[in-house]
Formats: sequence, C-alpha cells, structure tokens
Amino acid sequence: MATLHLLSRSPFTDTSGASCLRLLGPGDGLLLTGDAVHALQPESQPFEVLRALPADRPLFALAEDLDARGLSTPDFVKAVDYAGFVELTLRFERTNSWL
Amino acid sequence: MAKSLLLICRRSPWSGPGAREALDIALAGGAFDLPISLLFLDDGVFQLQPRQQPAAIQQKDLTANLQALPLFGVEALYVARTDLDRRGLSAEHLTLPVTPLEDAALAALLNQHDLVITL
Amino acid sequence: MSTINVQGKTIALDKDGYLLELDDWSPAVAEALAAREQMVLSASHWEILELLRRFYAEFQLSPATRPLIRYTAQQLGTEKGNSLHLNKLFHGTPAKLAAKLAGLPKPTNCI
Repeated sequence: MATLHLLSRSPFTDTSGASCLRLLGPGDGLLLTGDAVHALQPESQPFEVLRALPADRPLFALAEDLDARGLSTPDFVKAVDYAGFVELTLRFERTNSWL
Repeated sequence: MAKSLLLICRRSPWSGPGAREALDIALAGGAFDLPISLLFLDDGVFQLQPRQQPAAIQQKDLTANLQALPLFGVEALYVARTDLDRRGLSAEHLTLPVTPLEDAALAALLNQHDLVITL
Repeated sequence: MSTINVQGKTIALDKDGYLLELDDWSPAVAEALAAREQMVLSASHWEILELLRRFYAEFQLSPATRPLIRYTAQQLGTEKGNSLHLNKLFHGTPAKLAAKLAGLPKPTNCI
C-alpha cells in the first residue's frame, strides 16, 4: 500500500520537502535526488528532521548526487545508484514526484 | 477496471501554468470516465479563493472552469486543512465544495489511489 | 482558415469551421454554420445550442461528450440528456458539432 516520494529540490529554497513529510505515512519511502540531497547536510535543520523520522519510513538518496555535492551518507539513509532507483520504483506500489 | 488517480494541486492560481495543467489533466481524465480525485495542497488552496478577477491579468476564469469538475465526473475533492489555516482561509468560504482533511489523513488518501501526480 | 457571409458581414472561421471570434455568433450565424454541415436547425437543436451557450457562460469552457450529456440530463431531463438523443441530433459528434454551431471553442478533451 506504500508510496515512494521523489524529491529533487533543495529544502532550503523550496517547500516540497516539508509538504512531502506531511504526506509520508508508515511504510512510505523517501528518495532524495538532485538538490534535495542538501537535506543531508550535517547539523542542518532538515538533517535533524530526517534523522528523527520513524524507522518505518525508509530514506534513500542518489549516491552520485551526494558525491557531487561533497556529502556523505548518514547511517539513517541508504544510498542507491540509478539501478537501485529503478528497483525502488518497482518495490513500492506507486511513486509520487514532487516537481 | 481503470486505475484511480489522485492529483495533488499545490500551485497558486496565477504563478505559472501549474494550476491550469492540473485542471486539464482532471478534465481530460474525467471526460473519459477515469476515477480521479483532487487534493489542494500548499499554495494550491489559493485556487479556491473567492473573488478572483483573472481578467485583470488577461487570464481565463479558473474559478468558473473548476466548477465544471463535477460535470466531468470529478467529485472527490479534498483540501489540506493545515494549508487553509496557515493562509487564513476558511473551508466555508471556498469556491468549490471540498472536504477538508487533517495532515494525519493525507498518507491514507494517497495510498487509496493507484497513481499519484503532484503538480 | 475560411469565411462565411451572414447578413452582409464576413465572419472568420478556423480550419475546422469554428468561429475565430466568439462574439461573432448570432442565431443567423448558427443557421449558416449548420448549412455548411448540410443541417437545418430544428427546435430540438436550438434547445441544445442554447444549453451549450449557458454551459459556456457558466464554466468558460466547452464540454466533452460525457459532461454535455450530464449537463443536458440535469437541465432538460434524461429524455434529452442521453447519448442517443444527442448523437442523433448532431451526427454522432454532439460535443464537437454542437459547440461549433453554438459558437463555442472546439472542446479540447474529445476524440
């Protein structure tokens, strides 16, 4: 029954991340791509919000977007490559892209 | 059985084509009898603001167009109450008969549909 | 693009025969447009054309077939608001043809 949400915008300039969290239910996943990975900047406010999410809301981030921005993968996030991205979209029943 | 679609409209009415595009999807799907629901979220709730006069900026009457949704078979209309409250809007003074939902009910709404599109 | 001449006035049409300027419409224009479709408008036709013009005034768009049927049923009853009646009156393409004769824009969500 779960949804995979795709975020691509920086949480510091766009409200899609905050709104997405309001729609995130048990079992739903969140995949950060593009500038959305800036949410994983250590000690930032979005970082703390994501770290505090319940464990039944799995978090993913696109590895190459993390690498490009000089960010490392926190222990509460699973980094995936593009093949992993595709696999995720198949694992969840539906995807919702926040444009 | 046709797949059900939830359209999440989060664009303000006059910031760009987003509001119009979401409505076009709803009307096109409704014209073909697809089961479609709408959720007005974030600044999308401003689409439901009364007394809009888009002629002032040479735009079409979105409010009038939205009224056609039930005739196109799109009758499941929801709005996030949090976003109304934050923007000083009241569910009783909107241009469409929408059902206000608390944030806690939003995830379940998504998961009741086969597909979700956010615009 | 083509034109028709109605009561001494030249009226511009798009390539599908819809009015370019919606304000050009008059009952005489509707008769002329119908003649181009080899039709003569009866009271049953007029009832639907007037209904469509009300629809457009209210919603600012042209209905596709299903909404047209629903609206007709709502306003005139199911005797008239059904696909058989509307298809018969408007050669099987009621949304497109009736919108054309009523001086509305071409409906966007029609096959």
